[in-house]
Amino acid sequence: MLDVKGLRKEYGELVAVRDIYFQLHPGDVFGFIGPNGAGKTTTIKMLATLLEPTAGTATLNGIDIVRQPEEVLPLLGYMPDFFGLYEGITVTEYLEFFAAAYRIPKAQRAAIIENVLELTDLTVKKDAYVETLSRGMQQRLCLAKSLVHDPILLLLDEPASGLDPRARIEIKELIRELGAMGKIVLVSSHILPELADFCNKIGIIEKGELLVWGAVDEIVQQLQANRVLEIKPLGETEPLIQRLEREAHVHGVETRNGSLYVHFAGGLEEQADLLASLIHDGYRIAAFREESLDLEDVFMQITKGEVS
Amino acid sequence: MKLRTENPLLRYQLFGFTVNRWKRQPWLYGAVAVGVGLTYLLVFQLVAFNQSSFSAALNLCLFIMCLTAPLMAYNLFSLEYEKQTWESLALTRLTAKEILWGKWGAALARVGILTLLALPMLLTTANLDIYVSGSLRGKYPTVLEPTTNLYPFTAGVFVLFSWGALIVSLGMWLSFRLKRTLSTASTLYAGQVFALALLPMLYLTFSIWETGSEFISAIGSYWEGFAWWLYSLFTARAILYLNPFWTAAELQRLFLQHHSNWWLPSWEDQAYEEGLLYLNWGFAQGFTYLALALLFAGLTYRGLKYAWRK
Repeated sequence: MLDVKGLRKEYGELVAVRDIYFQLHPGDVFGFIGPNGAGKTTTIKMLATLLEPTAGTATLNGIDIVRQPEEVLPLLGYMPDFFGLYEGITVTEYLEFFAAAYRIPKAQRAAIIENVLELTDLTVKKDAYVETLSRGMQQRLCLAKSLVHDPILLLLDEPASGLDPRARIEIKELIRELGAMGKIVLVSSHILPELADFCNKIGIIEKGELLVWGAVDEIVQQLQANRVLEIKPLGETEPLIQRLEREAHVHGVETRNGSLYVHFAGGLEEQADLLASLIHDGYRIAAFREESLDLEDVFMQITKGEVS
Repeated sequence: MKLRTENPLLRYQLFGFTVNRWKRQPWLYGAVAVGVGLTYLLVFQLVAFNQSSFSAALNLCLFIMCLTAPLMAYNLFSLEYEKQTWESLALTRLTAKEILWGKWGAALARVGILTLLALPMLLTTANLDIYVSGSLRGKYPTVLEPTTNLYPFTAGVFVLFSWGALIVSLGMWLSFRLKRTLSTASTLYAGQVFALALLPMLYLTFSIWETGSEFISAIGSYWEGFAWWLYSLFTARAILYLNPFWTAAELQRLFLQHHSNWWLPSWEDQAYEEGLLYLNWGFAQGFTYLALALLFAGLTYRGLKYAWRK
């Protein structure tokens, strides 16, 4: 389990990350969302032991990331936002280098490298020189390198940035598979549709502050306490607007393209009652639906667009 | 505790990309190797057939070392930063010592290879004596015997290697600190020009060619030699005494066969040579270079410990 407790990073006056807390369990794929400069990379670098936090701590399976970085290194894999690869060697030689650097016994290396190449779909490129690979393949090789020592926590900083659509889909599939393998995967991104597909948990960070974190469904539900109902009436709209504004749970009504958008504070029961009462009162309703929230709506509702 | 002998970084630095380069472009690299080999033989012939002095050969080797040693170290760490590979390396289980040894060891090995390549040239000009007559007949001389050329030869080779070691260590540290390959290379080359040519020229100009030779002639024991070293390190004369080219010129004075007036050594010349021997001339410089090399390696190690959190 990854347990982050009050992690904070200051650079002089600037607070890059402000006392953040969250917990992740095996199999969790955590989308770390925030605008550029919000503190995502700083947080990831602290978790990767590359930066020392100003305050707070984090433990991975009980091992303190801040105080025992040597013990935690074998347990974590990290793929930086901007990464490079050693050139002039083949894909297999590259992975052999990292397998040796992670102290994997010689006898086990070949089998592990074969498995990792298969997982990342790079088997056909095993004898290719690193610098001849496409950007997408290099990204997968970097991920493969992060997997050779079978880490339990994977920190992926903007893993799909700069990739073409096909490579993006492939890397998403790979991340989903890693989550299914029981690894804790922390993926940062500012491209929300990218994360919506495969994250079961999200955290939204802005100005160094983790504004919200938890299961995607729970956060959406919390935000939908202030839901918007779309009602498409037949006939005149004015009497219906006046009728709606008298309802206790209605906070406002907007008209767009012949539809009414009702800001509604009630739950599902109250929604059903509202529809029944409108029909009972003789209003002709062609469509009645709740506007669903996606990750982008969640993000827009929570953040203010500020950076630290 | 299990001793770890495998260092993937050292292997990569020494062979990794080099072997593959040969495999990928055998004709290109083969042609370059032939060209370098022929140039080496040509230079070797020039030295041998012109009966060059030891100091000329040593100066040539030092010049080549000054040119090539920066190339062995100028991108050791800066390339990791420029290519953004350092984070991946820092997060492996390699310790700071292993990373340092991987980089430094590879650079030192190259300096060692270059020194070995210089040996035939230095040996040709050294005229090493073996005892062919008298009570020592059939025995080999030792470095400590001032009556043979083995002393200046060994001191010269030591100076050559240790100067290379100093340059690669300084290059490694600069490469770590500056994080830029171009800045490191230009600092190393400009620094050498400044330290080896401009500063000695300035010193000689303003000291009216006062090199301290009268003091050296007056040194009468190893203890006085040691005290003189300590003293001279705090004077501007250190600019000359720690210069490997100046050392090469002084070592020449210790050669029996090439002595300017070996058939009639004057009292002053003999006293000066003895002074040089008491100063451990050549070895003292070499050990100073190695001490500075260790210092820069230590600074790099400290940097790895703190900046890379190793």
